[in-house]
Amino acid sequence: MELEVKREKLVLRIGTQKYEWQIEPRYWLNPLIYVGILIVLPVLAYFFYPTLLPTLIDANLLAAIAIPLSWMTLGTGRMNFGPQFYIGAGGYAAALCSIHLGWPPPVTLLVALVVGLFFGLLMSPLAILAGGLYYTLLTLLFPLVFLELTFIFTDVFRGDVGLFGVQTMVNVGSFTLSQLITCMGALLMMLLYMFIVDKIMRSRFASSLAAINDDEEVAAAMGVNVNKMKIISFAIPATMIAVVGWFYAHYYGTFAGISYLPLAFMLKVLMVNMIGGRVQVYGNVVGGYFIAFLELLLIKLTGDLSPVLFPIVLLILLLTLPEGLFGLYRKRHYREYLPTLHVRR
Amino acid sequence: MKEMLKVNNVSKHFGGLMAIDDVSFSINEGETLGLMGPNGAGKTTLVNLITGKYITDSGSIQFLGNDITRMVPYKRCKLGISRTYQIPRPFPELTALMSVVVSVLYGKDRVNQSLDDAGYEATHYLEFCGLFSKRNVLCKDLNLYEMRGLELARALATTPKLIFVDEVMAGLNPAEAAKAVGLLERAKEHFGVTILWIEHVMAVLMKAATRVVVLHYGKKIAEGPPQEIADNPLVIESYLGSSHA
Ligand SMILES: Nc1ncnc2c1ncn2[C@@H]1O[C@H](COP(=O)(O)OP(=O)(O)O)[C@@H](O)[C@H]1O
Ligand SMILES: [Mg+2]
Repeated sequence: MELEVKREKLVLRIGTQKYEWQIEPRYWLNPLIYVGILIVLPVLAYFFYPTLLPTLIDANLLAAIAIPLSWMTLGTGRMNFGPQFYIGAGGYAAALCSIHLGWPPPVTLLVALVVGLFFGLLMSPLAILAGGLYYTLLTLLFPLVFLELTFIFTDVFRGDVGLFGVQTMVNVGSFTLSQLITCMGALLMMLLYMFIVDKIMRSRFASSLAAINDDEEVAAAMGVNVNKMKIISFAIPATMIAVVGWFYAHYYGTFAGISYLPLAFMLKVLMVNMIGGRVQVYGNVVGGYFIAFLELLLIKLTGDLSPVLFPIVLLILLLTLPEGLFGLYRKRHYREYLPTLHVRR
Repeated sequence: MKEMLKVNNVSKHFGGLMAIDDVSFSINEGETLGLMGPNGAGKTTLVNLITGKYITDSGSIQFLGNDITRMVPYKRCKLGISRTYQIPRPFPELTALMSVVVSVLYGKDRVNQSLDDAGYEATHYLEFCGLFSKRNVLCKDLNLYEMRGLELARALATTPKLIFVDEVMAGLNPAEAAKAVGLLERAKEHFGVTILWIEHVMAVLMKAATRVVVLHYGKKIAEGPPQEIADNPLVIESYLGSSHA
């Protein structure tokens, strides 16, 4: 292993592999400003409008689900309609271990990682075996079956009321301060995901994913190990989403499948994905904040109506903005060196 | 001449249709083998069997001493088999450069090659096929001739030893077709590839091929030097119907 710093590049050699990392300080300003804004927002909320903190946490977590999901969508070339399954898996794993075994959050994080990876690997052959519609239907079905199971084995999962008494992540006495710290934690996780997935999307790995997404058969004929790429792009994002489930469990101190596994939650996540322009990593952040605040607004404005109104408003937005909010921005800043990643199936 | 590919008694049926019926032939290193036959004769199916899209019902295929009869397609590519498609199949949403980059990166296990390096190398293949100025155009926006060039660039970028060219001239006007033929001949020179050239137009293969195999209804009906094939009554019959034989 050998690291070399060139004028504009970081060159890393591991064995016979060579990785290059563009360092272009002149392009750092904008990302730094955006990250700065995201960090300042919760601080402002803490001082001036603490009731906004939960919404900000929600926004970050939604984005943290949508970012790996877009990698999964790209790498498998299919829309997964059941990302919430992994939230359930990670969340229940963490909650059960915390309640029954008294394990602290860092340990349950490992459990959530293992459980997420296990289910990710277990279900990844779907991306190879099931094409388009079947894949979508099956992935849609899994969370609902899971939800059903939480009711059937209700003495384990407490499907009716949810699991209580999960150790909370932050406990510093002041409720709002705890929330601020939690919010920063959520933001950190989301930024980490964004960073990782963004790097992956600019790598040689992503070029094979884009090819798979366009034409699996031709990609294979050009030497891409399609099945391997699909399994990786299924299992790792699934694990990342399971970690968000872990976060939910330790953030609320309770975990109930009914909050995450039904279609309503899935709709929200997919909308984040679509508002952001499906496989745009930064777009997902925009989408996450947009949806979280839209939901807040609708609850404020309409009270009980919002579960009905929310999807309708989103549908209208989707029809009027097919490329997502972020697509509008991208259109004006068209730089076509890296693949434009579209999803076809 | 060394034998590169050997196809032994290969058969493939689709339902009741024998698309390939007990076909055997071999390709020697450095030659241009023409594969000829009327539409529906099974030429593309034969390529699909050798590149791994379909698995043979019976028979075996050897490539450079490896038995590839049941090998998965991407491993065959890494061994040095590549192809173009009769109906171009570009990666529609990738730029021309990016789609060649995929081949450069994955066509063979390379040492010390980053994404950027692959970009430089891909540029070379695009340039060779006359597509340098189109490198940042999305593949779906290329015209048919450019798509065929791109397919060749993509195939060459996997550093193949043997390349299957499936009816390059179909749908091109005479000037473009002539350019395409020239391009293939230069590719042979530059990259030292062996070509299996599929064409249902006889005249092209008469000039370009060193040897020709003729398929008809999935069966091999003739094999030999182009001139011999042109005079073969069986071949003439299969192309023109029995009244001309
Ligand atoms: N996937 C398939 N399923 C069913 N029939 C096929 C399939 N592929 C090819 N065929 C049939 O096999 C025969 C040979 O086709 P093909 O190899 O494409 O011919 P050629 O390339 O010589 O024109 C044709 O009759 C075609 O209809
Ligand atoms: Mg054909």
